[in-house]
Amino acid sequence: MSVGQVNGAGGRRSLKLLIVDDSNIMRRRIERSQQFEELEVVGTAGNGIEALEMFHKTDPDMVTMDLTMPQMDGIECISKLVQLKPAVRILVISALADKATAVEAMERGANGFLNKPFTDRQLNEAIAELMS
Amino acid sequence: MNVAGADRNRRLITAGAGTALALVMGLALLAGFRLATQIRSSITALQTASELQTYPGVLTQQLTALRQRLETREYTGQAHAELAGTVGRFNGDIRQLATRGKLQSAQLQEAVQMWQAYRPVLAPILAFSGEPYVDTDAGSSLSESGKLYYGNVRQAQLLAKQNVGRLHRLLSAVTRSLEAQTSGAAARLRALLSGGVLAAFVLAAAAAYLQLTRIRHERAAREAQEQTRDILKTVREGFFLLDADYKIGSVWSEALTHIFDRSDFAGLSFEKLLENRVPPNTLATAMKYIKLLWGDRAHENLMKSINPLGQLEISMDNGRGGKETRYLQFDFHRVLGPKGVKHVLCSVSDITSNVLLAKELQEAQENANAQVDMMVGMMHVDPLQLGSFLDTTQTGLQLINAILKEPARTDAEFRKKLGGLFRELHSIKGEASALNLMSIAQRVHRLEDMVSELKKKAELSGNDFLPMVLKLDELLAHLRGVREMATRLTALKDSATSGADAPRSSAAERPGGRSGEDLTPTMQALAEKLGRDHRKAFRLTLSGLANVPAPYVATVKDCLIQMLRNSAVHGIEPCEARRALAKSDVGAVRVDFRRSGDGYELVFEDDGAGISPQALKDAAVRKSIITAEEAASMDTRSAMALIFRPGFSTQEEVTMDAGRGVGMDVVARTVYGLGGKIGVSTNPGRFTRFKIVLPAAEAASSAVA
Repeated sequence: MSVGQVNGAGGRRSLKLLIVDDSNIMRRRIERSQQFEELEVVGTAGNGIEALEMFHKTDPDMVTMDLTMPQMDGIECISKLVQLKPAVRILVISALADKATAVEAMERGANGFLNKPFTDRQLNEAIAELMS
Repeated sequence: MNVAGADRNRRLITAGAGTALALVMGLALLAGFRLATQIRSSITALQTASELQTYPGVLTQQLTALRQRLETREYTGQAHAELAGTVGRFNGDIRQLATRGKLQSAQLQEAVQMWQAYRPVLAPILAFSGEPYVDTDAGSSLSESGKLYYGNVRQAQLLAKQNVGRLHRLLSAVTRSLEAQTSGAAARLRALLSGGVLAAFVLAAAAAYLQLTRIRHERAAREAQEQTRDILKTVREGFFLLDADYKIGSVWSEALTHIFDRSDFAGLSFEKLLENRVPPNTLATAMKYIKLLWGDRAHENLMKSINPLGQLEISMDNGRGGKETRYLQFDFHRVLGPKGVKHVLCSVSDITSNVLLAKELQEAQENANAQVDMMVGMMHVDPLQLGSFLDTTQTGLQLINAILKEPARTDAEFRKKLGGLFRELHSIKGEASALNLMSIAQRVHRLEDMVSELKKKAELSGNDFLPMVLKLDELLAHLRGVREMATRLTALKDSATSGADAPRSSAAERPGGRSGEDLTPTMQALAEKLGRDHRKAFRLTLSGLANVPAPYVATVKDCLIQMLRNSAVHGIEPCEARRALAKSDVGAVRVDFRRSGDGYELVFEDDGAGISPQALKDAAVRKSIITAEEAASMDTRSAMALIFRPGFSTQEEVTMDAGRGVGMDVVARTVYGLGGKIGVSTNPGRFTRFKIVLPAAEAASSAVA
């Protein structure tokens, strides 16, 4: 299954990515480390509420989601995003290493899970798996 | 899949061949039936024809007989009737043969034509009725009609005589042709029946072949089943399939029975399998995970990585009415069918021993690290001091053991036991800390904690002490390890120094002969450590400690450790406080051991905060050692004596060094035990001084012995 739309100029498929993490460093790290030409980072958010605002504004196809965030946590945010757009693909990137959290996130509608800390290779593999 | 397809094809082919053969047999039987019917009518025709060929002869004879009777004027009625009968039968039979027998042959046609020629001739004869004779006087003669009748008979007789041979030959030929026809049909029937029999044989052979194949297949299937059963019986993992309702299928491996101590798995839901064996939230997570396995959202690898049941702690009945903890590892694999996930294959293994082993390894690793730390620590301790410590500790632990074994029934007796244990443990801990043997000090500290916990209990019983016995064994084992290591270290040091330096003089060889070990290094080390631990700056000045007689070394050491700790914790003030009181930043602690009269005198003095009698009284009231009234009526001297009461301590916070309420009472008890005296003098804000007087060493050794 492929999500996305055709870009007018090159006819190249483009996937819009939203990065949600309360750490500025982590947001920049994800943005810089992902190596997919077809991915276009359309926005970043530092908590669940910001994420929802950005989601409405940018209509992304993929989201990387932190779990522990102020105001609205990742688990709640996943439920809302999936309600808004069932086809959205969500990669949870979290330092919470326990399996129960991962299962909970997957149950809410996430499509992938990556533990912090991660290597660039692990990040790209996780994104590739999400895009396939 | 392929095997099943080939099997289905073979079955289709065999069923088709069987049906075709059965159809052939049916057709053959039908044809046979028709042939048999045909043969039956042919035989009837043959019988008719056989009879028919006799008729021309019979007819000729009867006509001849009738002519003769007419000529001899005999009675003709009978002959006429017989002729009529024969003609009738001839007529009927030949018509039947010509029409019903469907026989078409030239001979029969000719015979019919010839017979047709008979009919006009025979018709007037058969039509005659009445009397052919008239009676005259000359006798009977032919009447007119009789004459006509006779003429007809003669004509017919001549025709018959003329044609009899030809007609007989024709009819014989017809008979032969019929015979040929019948035997031809019979031959065809035989062939047909042979074909049928052959087909039946083929069918039977095919059926036998099919049966054999089926038996072979059944055997193969049975063997496969047996192999599956053997695998399921032997494999050490528990295997089962989960259906879309999360229920266990009808086949599972034997190991599952041992893992879960039950055998009613068929149709059991996964939730029920784990219910009451794992905490509810773990079960909820497990069920969510299983549900996710049925979806297609996550890849197999991702699902594997988030498996929450990779190391599941479950609680099982141990068969003795209690519970035991086991660790299970669940693995899940999706079994895909044409319409997505068909089943989930689940494998379970009991990894309890692995988990425990891993824990043991971790503990061993920690122990090894601790041992290395301890070894490094021990390298800085004088071997003689270490040896003395180990001996004292050994004795102390034996004493503890003896206390534990002491019979006790009442709560008071148990509490007395606890008090005794506490004092001994505290004393060992103090020495261990002084030598910086933290692995030992921490172990003793844990034992002390256990005693403290027991003290808080409302009621005590013998069983409460059992865990302590175990801990004590562990401590003894640890001490053995330390001793072994100390021996090795000594050997190592000796081998390193042998030949280079003169051997160290042992305590026994020191000048004075009767002196014990020099406590100076131990005390200095302890002082450094205490200063560090409590952020207190003080200088320890020691004099005369090298001259402590051997029987008093242990006692002096115990007392000094306790008093030094008290000074570091309670006495010496922090730098800022000292500065405010116009004292020097660094506190001074002075220890002096000297001969005095027949015996010895040990003076311990610090320039710390001193002891406030009121503070002592308040603390004693708070700890219910004395009542408020007693406190009010107590003079300074009695208040100071509180410090030697069992269970007294003014430090609220429990640390490794003070605050457990044991301390000066141990010192006092030991001193009294040796026949000595202890006294304290203090000036609040200025100093505290303890003075211990001990009798002559000879008296002490006899008292100890």
